[in-house]
Order: sequence, then C-alpha cells, then structure tokens
Amino acid sequence: MSKLQIVRLYHDLLGTYGDQGNAEVLIHRSKARGFEVELHEVAPGESIPDSADIYLLGGGEDGPQSIALEMLLVDGGLNRAVAKGASLLAVCAGFQLIGTALPNSAGQDVKGLEIVDVTTIYTEQERCVGELVIAGELDSDGNQSILTGFENHQGRTKLGKGVSPLGIVLRGFGNGMANDSGQIDEGVQMGNVFGTYMHGPVLARNPTLADQILTSSLGALATYDDEFAQALALERRATLWPNN
Amino acid sequence: MIGNLRLGLASRAGYFAGLVSRTFGRGRGETIHGRVLLKVYPSALEKLAVGRDIVLVSGTNGKTTTTSHLTKILALGTDELVSTSTFGANMHSGIATALATKPRNRYVVLECDELYLPFMYQALKPKVIVLLNLSRDQLHRTGEVRKVANLWHQTFTKDDVTLVIDRDDPFLEFAVANAGHVLRVTFGGRKHPDAATCPACSALLDWSAGDYRCECGLGNELPQVRADQRLRGPGRNSVLAIEAARLMGAVVPVDLQEELTLNAPDRVSDFHVAGRYIPTRLAKNPESWRESLGQLSARQIILSVNAKGIDSLDTSWLWDVDYRSLESTQVICTGDRRLDVAYRLSVAGIDVSVAESFSKAVEMFTSEPIEAIASYTAFQDLAANALGLSKAVTGGQQ
Repeated sequence: MSKLQIVRLYHDLLGTYGDQGNAEVLIHRSKARGFEVELHEVAPGESIPDSADIYLLGGGEDGPQSIALEMLLVDGGLNRAVAKGASLLAVCAGFQLIGTALPNSAGQDVKGLEIVDVTTIYTEQERCVGELVIAGELDSDGNQSILTGFENHQGRTKLGKGVSPLGIVLRGFGNGMANDSGQIDEGVQMGNVFGTYMHGPVLARNPTLADQILTSSLGALATYDDEFAQALALERRATLWPNN
Repeated sequence: MIGNLRLGLASRAGYFAGLVSRTFGRGRGETIHGRVLLKVYPSALEKLAVGRDIVLVSGTNGKTTTTSHLTKILALGTDELVSTSTFGANMHSGIATALATKPRNRYVVLECDELYLPFMYQALKPKVIVLLNLSRDQLHRTGEVRKVANLWHQTFTKDDVTLVIDRDDPFLEFAVANAGHVLRVTFGGRKHPDAATCPACSALLDWSAGDYRCECGLGNELPQVRADQRLRGPGRNSVLAIEAARLMGAVVPVDLQEELTLNAPDRVSDFHVAGRYIPTRLAKNPESWRESLGQLSARQIILSVNAKGIDSLDTSWLWDVDYRSLESTQVICTGDRRLDVAYRLSVAGIDVSVAESFSKAVEMFTSEPIEAIASYTAFQDLAANALGLSKAVTGGQQ
C-alpha cells in the first residue's frame, strides 16, 4: 500500500491560528486505521508537488495572504493537483484564496486561484469573530451533522450559482451573506475540495469532517473511536448548540 | 540605597504570589474606585498625570511582572516613592486608580493594555514607554499581531517620549520606525514565530542569520544596548526595565545589573490546593506557554485552560505549542476547555487524562512534586480561592 501524501502549504505565512493541527489530526486518524502517512512541508519559495493526496491551506493575516496568493499563482502546483483529483482543505484566508476573487492587503479586488466559484469582498461591516456552528449534510442514517469552529475574518464570501456550501450557519457569521433561500452559507464543498471559515484546527473539533477528507483520498475507512476527539466534538456541540 | 535594592531582591521568594494576593485582597475594589472616579470626573487621567514622571509598560507578555519589577528598581534606584498599577489592571479604570493612589508620588509606573496604549500615551504624556514584545494573543480582540504593530506605528511619530524596545522583535522595530527617541536593546536576535513577513513592507523576512533582514531596511538601526543572548523572557524584560529606570534617573550600578537580570521575577505562584503546594505559572498564549513549558521540572503536570473573560476566547493556539517536553510526564488537564488541551496532547502522544476541577486534578496524583500552568482566568480563580473569595469576584474584565 502506498503512503498517504499530505502537503502543508506555507505554514509560516498561513498558520496564524494553529492550522498545523489539521495535518496532525489527519495523520493521527489515518495512522490509527493502519495507513502510512508522509507529510510534506512546502515553505514559501519552494516548489509545490502536484502528485500528493491531500493539500492543506491555512489562515493568515492580510499581508502574508497576499504573498501566498502570488506564489501559489506563479507555482501552479496546487491547481494542477486539484485538477488531478487531490483533496484540499482550505481554511479562513486559505478559503478566500481558492476562490475567483478576493481583496488584497490594500483592499483592492484581485484574482484568486479559481479552484472554486466563490468571491470574497471586503466590507466595512463588523469583523466576524466568535464561535461558529453549522449544519452539514445528512449522513447515511439521515442524521444532520453539526460542525463547530471559531471564526475571525473581515471578508464576506458569496458562492457562485450551483456551488454547494459546506453547511448552513446556525450560529455565527460563516460566509456572512444570505443565499437565495435567505439562509447563510458557510464554506464551500465541491468534490474533494473543502473550504471553511472555521479556522485553525477545525478537524480537531470535527472528526467527521476529518474522516470525510480522508475518505475522499483513501476510500471507506474503518471505524475509529478516539475518546478525546469524540468527547471534544460533543462538548463543543452541546455547549454551543444545546437544543439538538 | 543600593543595600535596599539588594534587600529587595533577597525577598524575591513569594514575590509573584504576594503580588497576586495583595491585589486580590483589595484589588477589585480599587478598580471600581477608578471606574467611579472617571464617571464623576472624566478628565481625571489627564489631571492626575500632570507634573508626574510616568513610565508605561506594554507588550504581549510580561507586562504585570515587568511593571512591578521596574517599580521596585525605580523606587530603590531613586529613593523616591513610586505609584504603580495593581495586578493586571491595565485599562482606563485600573490606570485611573493607580494615578489616584498617592497622587503626590512623583514617579508612576503603569502597565498598559496594547490597544489602550495610543490613548494613554496622549492622555498621560509619559517620559518613557517600555515595549516588551508582540506576539499572538487574544486575536479575537486584537485581530492580528500586525494590526497592533500598525496602530503603534501610527501613534509614535513625535520626539516627546523615549521608547525602550527589544529590537529583536520586528513588530516592535516597525512600531517605533517614526518615533523621535528610541533606545534599542538587542539580545543577539532570535526567530519570531509570527514574523515570516516584514511588518513594514510585507516582503518575506530573511531569518537565515538568526536575525531578521529586509530589503526595505527594517532592523538596520543600530542598538544602543547589547545584552546577553541566553536570557529568557523574564531576563530580557528585566534588561528593558533597568534601561527604563536609568532613563527616569535611577542609579542602577553595572555590578547589580546581572543580579537583577538573573533574578528577574517570573510569573509563578505557589497555590495551596487539596493539601499540597502547587507552583503554578500564568500563561495565556503560545509564546508564554512555550516559555512556561520550558521551565517545568516536575514529572506530574496540571494544565488548566479556560476561554472566557480576558482569556483568549479561541483555543486554536493550543496547536501552535510544541509539547515534546511533556513526553515523559503525566499530565492532567482541567478548566472549561480541558478537552481541547487533552485531545491536543493525546495527538502528540502525551500521557494525558482530565479532571473536573483543579483540586480533583491534584487529588489524582498520589505524590509530589506537581507543577501547573494556568490560563488567565483559571489562574485568577486559583488566586481567589487561595484568599477565600468567590470566583465571581475575579471573573470579569479588569
């Protein structure tokens, strides 16, 4: 069996909120199922391999985000990898980067990586800061998955026509704009590409999302009950969304 | 005078604990006093500052301890009475209280919250401002480290104050780039975990030589003071405090400098819980956790983390800390967010369990020594319990 290849991109630029946690959780949960894993750190200026299985883009401040965008556009490795079917988790600033347009550090609209049809705009509205709770898709038993995270962003993001969000906001801001049904979307999900404003180590609080990403690369996974991961996900959900 | 200074250092044992208990024994009421004062007399800050020699201390980590240490050095090095802040009270009401307490004292050393510094600089007209460091902390409130650096950069554009900074921190160097008078201290450079890019021009910083360089010229100003590269956070802050005290007119002999620096007070308190004394460090962000983890010597550790009030409300930062020093220890996590910490540690392969309360965590260990690290409100709760106060007394914003 070949090793699962995970690429963490520009951690120095896009790692403001403990984003490295997502790589650690993916490694932990895949090793627990008996898979071998290799983590590739790609530092700013290094070339991005396009043949790995899972790519991670984290959150960052405005200036570093703009630099990361320039380098990702010039390199092209991430776009090639996703076109070949690799999975991608893009968090916060990373989520904004994979869209068609976003504001740069000077507040001007610039072209994004165009991996998904989403557009981020800068607004003078209040900053979106706090706990975020979203309703994800129904699982095979018809249960709604509830995901939780912490968000801290200024931009608002609009999904293109026919593009699916990762979930619908139950509490917090998420993408910060009402969709045609009057609901507020959170993040994006298109095939193996996942984008979210639940920043930093979102997979630590949401083991089901971690497994969804792993499944997109590894296929069906054996059950893995990680005591603390389960307890943390349940505690966050019970505290932030107690009525369900 | 110098003898007194030595005596002061000799009584360092229990220094921080004393600071905490003195504050919680009377402190909350004083902050309320400041709040009432400002309500009745809104310009009290400006009025109480007139004719006094004021030093402000700001930065992410070490404000409280450095303020207290600087107060002591200044008092003994000038033979004058010095007013100062109560433990951690670093916004309007706390600062008003400190100024109103013994208003005839010539010298005042005030801890100041990072976001309040521009206002306090304008209102109080300090002679010296000490900027200790800037790193990730309470991002839910401050937004970004760079935003604080930018705010300061726009604030310090005149020559009416002397800024004492650790120039090895590129955010501080940027903060004072337009200031008239700066005293730069270097400790030989060290990589800043949050500064991959230049705070001034956003280009990638070159850290290859162990210090930062940028084509825009940030960091090219020569430092006036070159201090020992081996100093940890408290020692570095102590050097800045000594330089500030000298600028204020204190006599601090060179031969005493080493003693003051090596014996820099650290934020550790002995709390008596469940029949045992637990040395406990206050740490609230990645940088202070790294510092605290490096100081632990026990093999039985309690980590207590909350995310409320003046804590960071977001626990993501727990994943930014390297926990390898805990590898052969037994860790019990407590506090409201014990599961966040416990899961983080379990992924890192650390032997970890959880307890509902700090005292239950202590009881789970059958022997000593035990050491602890606590986030801000968790630390406050321990301090309040030590004095028999209820948690409600210390829970809110100071």
